[in-house]
Amino acid sequence: MSSLFGTLSLATGALAAEQGAMDATTNNVANANTPGYSRLRPVLIESDPVVIGSLVYGQGVTLQKLEGLRDPILQLRIQEETQQQGQLNTFVSAMQQAQVQFTSSSSDIGSQISNFFASLNQLSTDPTNLSLRQGVLTAAGNLATVFRNTSGNLTQQQSSLDLNVSQAVQQVNTLTGQIATLNTQISQLQGVNQDASAFIDQRDVLIGQLSGLIDVSTIKSDNGLTLTTSNGTALVVGGQSFTLTTQTNASGLQDVYAQGADITSKLTSGQLAGLIQVRDQKLPALLSNLDTLAAGLANALNTANKTGFDLNGNPGGNLFVPPPLSGQGAAANLTVLITDPALIAASSDGTAGSNGNVAVLSGVQSQPVAGGQTPIDYYSNIVFGVGNDVSTSSAELSSSQLVLNQLNDQRGSISGVNLNEEAANMLQYQNAYDAAAKVVTTINDMLYTVINMGTLTG
Amino acid sequence: MSSIRVNPYPMPDLLAALEQLQQQQSDATLQLATGSKINKPSDDPAGVAQIIKINDLSSQVDSFQRSISNISGQFSTADSTFSSVVTALQRALSLGVEGANGTLSDADRAAAATEVTGIQSELLSLANTSYQGQYLFAGTATTPPFVVDPTQPSGIRYVGNTGVNKVTIGNGYQLQVNVPGSQIFNGPGADVFLAVNDLITGLQNNTGIPTAVTELGTAFTYVTGQRVFYGNALNQTQSQQTYLNTQSLGLSQQLSSVAGADIPAVASQLVNDQTARTAALDAIARATQNSLFDYLK
Repeated sequence: MSSLFGTLSLATGALAAEQGAMDATTNNVANANTPGYSRLRPVLIESDPVVIGSLVYGQGVTLQKLEGLRDPILQLRIQEETQQQGQLNTFVSAMQQAQVQFTSSSSDIGSQISNFFASLNQLSTDPTNLSLRQGVLTAAGNLATVFRNTSGNLTQQQSSLDLNVSQAVQQVNTLTGQIATLNTQISQLQGVNQDASAFIDQRDVLIGQLSGLIDVSTIKSDNGLTLTTSNGTALVVGGQSFTLTTQTNASGLQDVYAQGADITSKLTSGQLAGLIQVRDQKLPALLSNLDTLAAGLANALNTANKTGFDLNGNPGGNLFVPPPLSGQGAAANLTVLITDPALIAASSDGTAGSNGNVAVLSGVQSQPVAGGQTPIDYYSNIVFGVGNDVSTSSAELSSSQLVLNQLNDQRGSISGVNLNEEAANMLQYQNAYDAAAKVVTTINDMLYTVINMGTLTG
Repeated sequence: MSSIRVNPYPMPDLLAALEQLQQQQSDATLQLATGSKINKPSDDPAGVAQIIKINDLSSQVDSFQRSISNISGQFSTADSTFSSVVTALQRALSLGVEGANGTLSDADRAAAATEVTGIQSELLSLANTSYQGQYLFAGTATTPPFVVDPTQPSGIRYVGNTGVNKVTIGNGYQLQVNVPGSQIFNGPGADVFLAVNDLITGLQNNTGIPTAVTELGTAFTYVTGQRVFYGNALNQTQSQQTYLNTQSLGLSQQLSSVAGADIPAVASQLVNDQTARTAALDAIARATQNSLFDYLK
């Protein structure tokens, strides 16, 4: 049979359980704005009853645990999408920076090509006119300058992306170190069957940040969590993290190494992949296209100038410093060779007043000088390529953003703290607590009655 | 608790929407400010490639037009030079005809001879006409093409060359811009300077004047024929100028159809975006307001 003291302890147990539940609510409210926080739910269970004879006595309530509400599968999807977004975001912003070089203006490469050929047309109307000759030299100088600047700016951007690669690698190392530490703490807590919700939340936030940087695959095992890149390179195994390192390659850029292996070209998503894609593929391709155009133009104009005679009746020479045979660095080093306007070979027969060779020089405008295309066609294709890269990847970024927002909505609907819900829970727990307290008071009264029983009869 | 829980954090979605609206607004404002719907390559990559080519064509058309205005000056100068040459030759002819009549006194013939000598100098100077430093009738030489040379039967020697320059005034359209002076003034059997010189000698010596007049007549007809070149060239540049104006207009229409912003559409889009943005801001302001906690006393 039950005793009053037994009932009293049952009521105080109820008080403790409701207080514990209230703790969950308090913690939820406190963390309503904490990124990555998963709300806690008190798991209240009925205590095992005591059977005495034919009677079953309920033993009240037990607060089994405060359970964090999260969906691990959803968390994985969020990580994947974050990686995708990290890559796209970096790619788009780097390419947007690159396309500034190709934005139409009165002084872009296209305009300077047009200006140069226009200056030749003017020269043809008065081939001995020194100011028209100077006009051609100035236009050639402007053309060389815009090639050098455009190429130089792209190279500079490449270096700054390179710096970003090193920084991203450092961030990855910091994060994997922190995640390994949390792994240890989590498995210690779980080893003694305690709830590690707070640490798991923190780890999810860190994995989220890591996903923004590099492609991460998560493998859960008995002894904790293993993080690898998508090509299987271990980043974190349980309580141990593996640092990434960088090494300068032949082009003077930083390659990314994991445990001695070069994984630079194997990174497929995250900020690092975006940085490397632009640094190692897009910018070098642009630079090489500019080289092709600069070398093609310079060589064709040099050849054309050599077919004529200058103002002094001498055979024409090179107009530009001849670009390297490989073409590499042609844009970055494009320089006008002659400084004397008389050396422009306008004449086709050696007489000073002849303009016959100007037409040969102008003819370069419609010659296939680069990739089988005229200078302007080739240039417009370069610009098309840059614009297309930005617009395609921007569209992908927008849709990735949309997906990520939806996933985060979903996560919020499972793990987010709803203040209305918490307020309602608080009232519910408060009422239950009040009721349990009332029970305690009542039993106290009953005990008082029992204690004073003798006095009454006496 | 079977109802579907919704995400209690609307803020990221609202902020993303707001950001997108702000982006749209700034794009629309840029379009209104520049009048162009393409302000960077990614706005319309294919359109930008077209714009680059259109701009290049425009620049070519501009430069053809400037070339035409440069060479038109030469043509006009050459044409008016011809007009002076014709007038001078006509005067010389009429003096010759008078001399050939045999009615002139010796003094009158001497005076006529002196006048024709003056005409000879005038013709020499006209044949050496330059336009902005270019001798119009020197071929591609750069010095005065006709010089006095007593060893020549005509007393004048051509020191220019037979070079001809062409100027591009359209795509694949090259126009010859000069006729060498030797071709104009020293035509086969029609040498202006020889005819004038023969007339001077005739008048001075009162012999062979009619022959000299016939000779001058032939030279006159020949030179007048050469003048046609410059008249034609002027006509050709004028009609090409008209064509280039049309082309230039066509190119700017092409440009505005590729790049031109649809101003009314953009302006009304901007207004819509503003309204949507105000609404989004309002939603954000309310999103953080009241929960059940506010009602607990």
